[in-house]
Amino acid sequence: MPQNEHIELHRKRHGYRLDHHEKKRKKESREVHERSHKARKLIGLKAKLYHKQRHAEKIQMKKTIKMHEQRRTKQKSDDKTPEGAVPAYLLDREGQSRAKVLSNMIKQKRKEKAGKWEVPLPKVRAQGETEVLKVLRTGKRQKKAWKRMVTKVCFVGDGFTRKPPKYERFIRPMGLRFKKAHVTHPELKATFCLPILGVKKNPSSPLYTSLGVITKGTVVEVNVSELGLVTQGGKVIWGKYAQVTNNPENDGCINAVLLV
Amino acid sequence: MVVPTSKEFIDITLSKTQRKTPTVVHKHYQIHRIRHFYMRKVKFTQQNYHDRLTQILTDFPKLDDIHPFYADLMNVLYDKDHYKLALGQINIAKNLIDNVAKDYVRLMKYGDSLYRCKQLKRAALGRMCTILKRQKSSLEYLEQVRQHLSRLPSIDPNTRTLLLCGYPNVGKSSFINKVTRADVDVQPYAFTTKSLFVGHMDYRYLRWQVVDTPGILDHPLEERNTIEMQAITALAHLRAAVLYVMDSSEQCGHTLQEQLMLFNSIRPLFANKPLIVVANKCDVKKISELSEENQKIFADLSADGIPVIETSTLTEEGVMQVKTEACDQLLAHRVNNKMKGKKVHDVLNRLHLAMPMKRDEKARPAFIPEGALLRRKAMEVDAPKRKLCIFLFLIPEVWEGHNIADYIDPSIMKKLEDLEKEEELKEAAGEYDSDEESEDEEMQEIRVLAKQIREKKYLMVVESKEKDVHGPRMPRTATKVERKKLEKEMGNLGLDMDNKDDSHYAQQARRSRSVTKKRKREASAPPTSKTRSQSASRPPRDQSGLRDAKMVKKTKKMMKNSQKGMNREARKGEADRHIFDLKPKHLLAGKRKSGTTDRR
Repeated sequence: MPQNEHIELHRKRHGYRLDHHEKKRKKESREVHERSHKARKLIGLKAKLYHKQRHAEKIQMKKTIKMHEQRRTKQKSDDKTPEGAVPAYLLDREGQSRAKVLSNMIKQKRKEKAGKWEVPLPKVRAQGETEVLKVLRTGKRQKKAWKRMVTKVCFVGDGFTRKPPKYERFIRPMGLRFKKAHVTHPELKATFCLPILGVKKNPSSPLYTSLGVITKGTVVEVNVSELGLVTQGGKVIWGKYAQVTNNPENDGCINAVLLV
Repeated sequence: MVVPTSKEFIDITLSKTQRKTPTVVHKHYQIHRIRHFYMRKVKFTQQNYHDRLTQILTDFPKLDDIHPFYADLMNVLYDKDHYKLALGQINIAKNLIDNVAKDYVRLMKYGDSLYRCKQLKRAALGRMCTILKRQKSSLEYLEQVRQHLSRLPSIDPNTRTLLLCGYPNVGKSSFINKVTRADVDVQPYAFTTKSLFVGHMDYRYLRWQVVDTPGILDHPLEERNTIEMQAITALAHLRAAVLYVMDSSEQCGHTLQEQLMLFNSIRPLFANKPLIVVANKCDVKKISELSEENQKIFADLSADGIPVIETSTLTEEGVMQVKTEACDQLLAHRVNNKMKGKKVHDVLNRLHLAMPMKRDEKARPAFIPEGALLRRKAMEVDAPKRKLCIFLFLIPEVWEGHNIADYIDPSIMKKLEDLEKEEELKEAAGEYDSDEESEDEEMQEIRVLAKQIREKKYLMVVESKEKDVHGPRMPRTATKVERKKLEKEMGNLGLDMDNKDDSHYAQQARRSRSVTKKRKREASAPPTSKTRSQSASRPPRDQSGLRDAKMVKKTKKMMKNSQKGMNREARKGEADRHIFDLKPKHLLAGKRKSGTTDRR
């Protein structure tokens, strides 16, 4: 035992106090009462925190108890049937043929052309102009009101330069310009921080699309070269669409779901 | 300071933010006020995290800034890489938290509604807490390091040190127990000592450190475990006198050959250090009793110039010799090193030892008085003195506060008898009788009166005690004294109480209203019922205690005169009290915390 551990050394040489074990036993049994007293008498924020923590503890306890009970009783083994398992009377059918694959590809290309997408958020609340654009008054007497400032998060490209201040109608403040988005792959369930390439479509208005305003439901193109996806033909995919799932101006970050 | 766990850290900081920053904000406030409110919370949280993490970073020692002995020891015990990594992670977390706060404060400037600012603040705090949650393992590791580090023995790497090393179970810990006050565990199994122990001793009016190490086994450096590495670290970095302890009886489980092998393998570590080989457990087997080849080992070592000293920590034989030898060697070594250095000359140039020159041929030796010489001789012959001491123990010198020597008088009983006879004679002669004739009549009268008074008093006390009073006993002044009773009592005592109608107490009882008014009505006798009822009521306070109208007038005048000064200066008096602040802020402001608020 190291040199400066006095309590342990004393215990080793002289043993415990005569009433040590008694005291310890009683203290432990008193703990139950103290805990219940605390649970009953706490009020305010501390009570909320305490009850939340206690609730989590109890859930864990119940889980372990259930696990222990499971071991004692025998249950029918519930082997999940593997996906894609087909009942016997369908076994004769063949899988997808190559012709089917080709026709699916053509259909998808047609859909893309038409602009009809299957997106995770089909309907989004439309943002009015007063919400997205704030009026800025200018002029000697602050009477002219033709300038607008964007109040939502926006994306401007790499080579963006402002128009001369006298002529710019829409102001996109630097503090609200974002370059990266947290994109989740829906199947892998993994999230990556990927750079944005551009805003494809804002559901509220084409004006916002052209401005690059990103709100909830906007379809954005992201750089997925990090993921290392490859087409069937062998080409490397480096851009994919993703739909924004949160309100970036409230959260300070852009969360999106990749559209596969 | 304690390094908190990640959960605790988060809880503490968030609850601090909730308590120390304002909590109330409404939708209808001006937007800059709302923004400022939420920005303050974000910055406050960031500041707290930053401060605490900085404190942790500065409190832990930097391995590059401390003495290499401790740096090496910490490397052995805690793994330098892991330590540096943990501290690096904490530093990164601190920077990340600062960046998060900066970003969100910048975003909040564009917040145009309470909801938006609130969500931004929530996101910022959440992000900071998540960063800290990831540091859970680093914080736990640092807390353990801190606890262990605070308990390391305080070894001064620069002072005079003796270092004990050797195989396990050879007797190093027993040696240090004998020489210092360190209480190291000594057990028959190997590796009882698992870390460095420090003890202090005195020699030649100087303080010496003795460091006990865990035993080292003979294998190459790479294969050594943590415990042995601590010993190696001490050997490598401490500039000490090395005492290599060997077990000549081979009770430790390793032969002398093996011990010699170990000695040779760690010999490079003994360079530039005074070395002594201690042959321990010589009470079991002396060197002369050993076999030829073993004796040769020791002979070779002596021939090499390394002193070999036989000791036994059980019988304490040779321990002192080892101590003096080692200390002398180390002192000489240190002095030599200092002389070789440059700093010595500054000191040497200022020192000068003056020896007095002989004046003439007369010899002047030291003078020792005879008594001292005799005592010195007596000290050598100790035995006969003891008997005298024993005799003194039978009779104590002082008992119950009295010095017994005072009472030792052979003729004391005789003296007592003489005194008693004298006393009897005096008593018979009447010296102690009280003289009563000296009193004159006056005194006797006074005595009689005093006796009467005492009796009367006693009777009154007994009477009042017998009175059955229901309720609290009121003092005598609370109840009214009737005139008749007063006159009777005073008459009993001997005062003349006739014709006292004009007296003060009589008039007082008769008067009912103010003396100034109703003067004329006294002449015509008022109806008896009125007088009776009016006499029962109390006189008003500004007239009680005043005899007549003249006095009343005078008092009124006095009152007015005293008020004049205050009135002229328009100063506030007792009657001019006005509370300007009916709702003082210190009583009514503040948060309504838990607890009752039905009373302020």
